[in-house]
Amino acid sequence: MRKLLVFMCALALCCGSSVAAEDKDKKADKISTFYAYVDADVCARLMLGPITQARIDCSKKAYKQGSNIVIVRLDDNMVFSVNKVKLVKDYLGGLGKVTGEAKSKSGEMKLESFMPEQMSDIPADAPAQRLLDVRTYKAKSTDGLFEKIRHELAMMAYITTFDFISFTMIGDDVILTGWTVRDTNRDDAYHRVKRIEGVKSVTNNIEILPLGNQDMQIRASTRLVLEQQLGRYFWSNGSDIKIVVKNGNIILLGAVATKEDSDIATIKANSVSMAFSVINLLRVEPPPAKNKG
Amino acid sequence: MNEHRGPWKNRLEWFAAIVMIAMAVGCSKPQTTEEGAGALPPVKKIPAGSQFSGFLKDYSALKPNPNIEGEMLTYVSADAKKNLRSYFAIVVDPIEVYVATNADEKQVNDDRRKALTNYFQHALTNAVSDAFPMVDKPGPLTLRLRTAIVGVDVGGQNGALNIGKVGVEMELVDSETGERIAAAVDRASLGAGAEVGDVNLSRDEKAAAARDAFDEWASRLRAFLDSAHELKGEDLDRADKSYKPY
Repeated sequence: MRKLLVFMCALALCCGSSVAAEDKDKKADKISTFYAYVDADVCARLMLGPITQARIDCSKKAYKQGSNIVIVRLDDNMVFSVNKVKLVKDYLGGLGKVTGEAKSKSGEMKLESFMPEQMSDIPADAPAQRLLDVRTYKAKSTDGLFEKIRHELAMMAYITTFDFISFTMIGDDVILTGWTVRDTNRDDAYHRVKRIEGVKSVTNNIEILPLGNQDMQIRASTRLVLEQQLGRYFWSNGSDIKIVVKNGNIILLGAVATKEDSDIATIKANSVSMAFSVINLLRVEPPPAKNKG
Repeated sequence: MNEHRGPWKNRLEWFAAIVMIAMAVGCSKPQTTEEGAGALPPVKKIPAGSQFSGFLKDYSALKPNPNIEGEMLTYVSADAKKNLRSYFAIVVDPIEVYVATNADEKQVNDDRRKALTNYFQHALTNAVSDAFPMVDKPGPLTLRLRTAIVGVDVGGQNGALNIGKVGVEMELVDSETGERIAAAVDRASLGAGAEVGDVNLSRDEKAAAARDAFDEWASRLRAFLDSAHELKGEDLDRADKSYKPY
């Protein structure tokens, strides 16, 4: 009996030490404080640009449509989902100083506090100012860098109808955004862009989507209903319309030729059972007119 | 002298045993689906005079694949609606074992077989899971990976499994309908001495050749999937034209 108890103690010590080591690892991400913009997930992932009125409108509209609240670290545009939404909800579309445990790898932050701030409160020499200054943005570079990045991302083999990866440039710094169902796409996108000559740094805000049974059902059903009436936007190995599904919410991205097609896409996606909401971000781009003769 | 075992001492022993089991369970890693696959599928035998095991329903469409080195025969569905790119998740079936035609399947030791199949399943999962996330049950957009190790012989030292002339047969089917989407047959000659004699395949020196072969097959499966996903021709142009960042 005594031997049994000694063995138990040894086992408990062994188990306890491994658990303690895990806890230590978990706390490796230190508590930090930084300036952040309170955004809606959709706008943050698509990086519609610096914090302009259009961006603020996007944040508020997307939140109403069902998008989650996230915070964007102004220093480097890193997007974090937060555990205490209540702390920041009232400041959606605004700036603040946040404190908490930020995990860059998973894009999650355990919030401890949020202090609302005005744009003028942020010191002029702070790195956070960069995101607020429209002049630092380079939507399309003149040296062909934008096109090189776009082409590299377009050639990714494992992109499906259910992934959408986008990017924004601030000078020669690239911010990757969007959603994917595959780990490999997140890493592949980062490495493809990182090795392009002229790219200074890459911030990876691509989110890996959950593969819960309900989301899988919604993905398959949405593709099916869209293919029925908008089949010309889908081909065997890809599609012009992208279907992003996260926790029951559908986001439609990509481009269609007419406003009518965009509306049909909304109606069809809304007919999918189990889907909570549909956010239509399809662009309407009429096909270029063909030259006669 | 007979010691009186009072009720408290009995209870203490029971309590100790329960606590030990709970701690052992608590300390162990969570079981993955493949580890907890349950009962082993029965061992089958390659039919006499047959080149293949019969594990795949159809071998006629398999062709040598110029994109993969070696003797891999592959098939990929060209159906516009149901091809490899129509799916992105995988559920992995327990790996089956086919013994050589002249081997006695009753001699196959279950623990060694389990060691063999678990190792290969782990290698397959490692090789493909970042591109095809693993899920635990069939569903939409999900493929089922069926795999068999074929040509296992019995009769090494102390009943070790001889795997000197094994091959693998794999099939990816729609997890809901069973429709075949892709398949591959691969063989390798590991040579004399390649065997599984220990239940711990990772530490068995004689199984080094087997480990290398299984790792290699797993990486070849990944290479096959990568090559099948590569955009070509019109698809390449369309993907390039279609992609515009926001």
